[in-house]
Amino acid sequence: MEANTLTSACSAVSFDIYETFASFMKDEEVLLHSAIIPLYCVSSYRDQISAPLAAILALTKLIETSGAGTMFELVKALNDGAEALKASNSNPISLNAGCELFIAFVTLLPHDSASFSDLKLELVRQGQKYAAEALTYRDKIANLALGFIKDDSVILTHSYSRVVMKTLLRAHERKRISVYVTEARPRGLGLRTYEELTAAGIPCTVVLDSAVSYVMDKVDFVLVGSEAVVESGGLINAVGSNQIAIIAQAANIPFYALAESYKFHRLFPLSQDDLPTHKPNILSFPLSSAGNVATPPSTGAIKPAHERDSNDKVRQMTAEQIACNPGVDYTRPDLITLVFSDVGSLTPEGVSQYLVGMFAG
Amino acid sequence: MATDTSSIPNQRVVETLASRLRRRQVVGSHETALETVLVLRQVISKARFSNIDQLVEIIRSVGRKLVEAQPKEHTVGNTVRKVLHHIREEYHTASQGTAVVSTSSNTLSIARFVLQGQPRKQNVPQKGTLGESHGTLKENNPDDPDAFARTLKPVLMEAIQDVLDELETVYDNISKNAKDHIHSDEIILTIGKSSTVEAFLKAAAAYRKYTVIIADTAPSYSGHDMAQSLSSAGISTVLVPDSSIYALMSRINKVIIGAHAILANGGMFAITGSLLAATAARAHSTPVVVCAGQFKLTPQWNLYHEYGALDFADPSSVLGFEEGNLVDKVDVVNPYYDFVRPELIDAFITNDGDHPPSSVYRLIKEAYDDEDYEL
Repeated sequence: MEANTLTSACSAVSFDIYETFASFMKDEEVLLHSAIIPLYCVSSYRDQISAPLAAILALTKLIETSGAGTMFELVKALNDGAEALKASNSNPISLNAGCELFIAFVTLLPHDSASFSDLKLELVRQGQKYAAEALTYRDKIANLALGFIKDDSVILTHSYSRVVMKTLLRAHERKRISVYVTEARPRGLGLRTYEELTAAGIPCTVVLDSAVSYVMDKVDFVLVGSEAVVESGGLINAVGSNQIAIIAQAANIPFYALAESYKFHRLFPLSQDDLPTHKPNILSFPLSSAGNVATPPSTGAIKPAHERDSNDKVRQMTAEQIACNPGVDYTRPDLITLVFSDVGSLTPEGVSQYLVGMFAG
Repeated sequence: MATDTSSIPNQRVVETLASRLRRRQVVGSHETALETVLVLRQVISKARFSNIDQLVEIIRSVGRKLVEAQPKEHTVGNTVRKVLHHIREEYHTASQGTAVVSTSSNTLSIARFVLQGQPRKQNVPQKGTLGESHGTLKENNPDDPDAFARTLKPVLMEAIQDVLDELETVYDNISKNAKDHIHSDEIILTIGKSSTVEAFLKAAAAYRKYTVIIADTAPSYSGHDMAQSLSSAGISTVLVPDSSIYALMSRINKVIIGAHAILANGGMFAITGSLLAATAARAHSTPVVVCAGQFKLTPQWNLYHEYGALDFADPSSVLGFEEGNLVDKVDVVNPYYDFVRPELIDAFITNDGDHPPSSVYRLIKEAYDDEDYEL
């Protein structure tokens, strides 16, 4: 079926789920060779697949290679596979949403297959069908959000999100929009948004993460993507989303989140500490005796203005200092105006209805 | 085969209602909804169609015509959507067992799983009944193109009757629980003359002794009629000018107002002054309760919060020609509706239970079919 890395991963004696996952994430071309991907998306397929879908595809590969003979064994293998994936990824939130969805589906599929291997084939087929189908979701969301974008809108977005890009580009075809995008330190993904939007001819300005409250008055609404939408209706997204939402609410400006339905995640964080990405080192105070993290004089220290000399160059955080910072944050549902997803425009509470439907009972 | 669908919207009944809507001879969301159902019933009883799509297209074209005639009366569109929803439901029950329909929809896929949740137990054995086809429903029968319409019409009439019954009992059902919302010695504020609120307050008066403060609702002064109606029902009534709403709010236990249309985000259009009352109530943390029938649920999101004024009334009530000197020098507008944001509303009391604004979108999903949002 596929010609490259994937086949080697599959035929290897020990099936490495992470490698498979990574191959789906990085080298999306593998799917081009399989018949399930409609031709229309071939050109745009690269870079389209997101972590939850790659996780689902990796799990279908696992089913293909697994020798499980009973449902119990299969579910156990899938759970182990999901655990392995989680352990090997520093930000497992969204791929976890995909794994959970697929495993819940596997356990609940009513089937009348003659044999267990037939059932496995059916599951693989379903997983691949879904992954192919799910690629159209961003279009759906873009069309849905389009109705909420008025002509001459000024939009603030955060970091880089594929579904936000699709929506903005779609809106640009019919309406005049201008976009402020945050720089999104430390990875600077906002610059990627800036480049792509400018290339498409959309007026775009990068703003500092710390300048969000400054631009908020000029903005009609905030549009962000998502890592996951959780059961409370809250949003997990690139760090900084929470403060943008708080500022947006203070300025009475709508805050819209875009989320494909495979990003609905059964999680109920009450605070930032409850996120699965929260590690003990995040926001920890380094021991002053250790000295390896706090290296003040060279670059890190903040001097009063009058001590600054002219050849003082711009200070930057050290890698160690960045490592103490979170990559994603949690935004409370009451700060979110609406969640646009392929199942419709939902109030944040509406998301829980779908999660309960899938996972409760 | 069947009659040309394009001619149907031009039928007399449809034309008559459309022109009455255009001339604002039919006003009030309840009355408009009733008239719409009656016209639809007439159209369907006369219509010729040989499959469901033709029927749906007929109803839609009538709906489009009526909505165009008066786009600000949202209940017209809502009623058409509701009728379509009921008709599809009846059609599906009637055609259950005619095999073709269900096979594909029964298999679960991940997308369906996300959309509809866990497969229900009763869905599974349905496969067994597929074989025994008891449906007499045959679409596109070439020998007898009217056969489909003939078998389906009785159930369609029933479906429409359901919608009609719902509309006719709407006030009773809303006021059913009025005594649970209004307690003895409470002071209620209301604004404008909403028949729903009127029925609700009168129903509560049978059980409780309470006071209603009515804002006179300039410039239509519909509050005066409301005051008259309530006081003649023996309710202790106080009429106040709109400008004193804020000052009085600290004494008020509850604000009860009507709605013109409820939108999918839980906000609503209501008579001017409602936003003022709701905002004042928020400042004093006074609960704001909205009484409205479910036929006012409108599958639209308000995108234009700024332009709360959806409709404009006659400016002469603001500044009449007797002020001749001034009339030339100023522009006069008289916005008729306010848009009240969902955050300002605590609950909707409807003919089918009480709901917070955040679950309105779900009621809408249940009441109408997604494909009808655009008629």
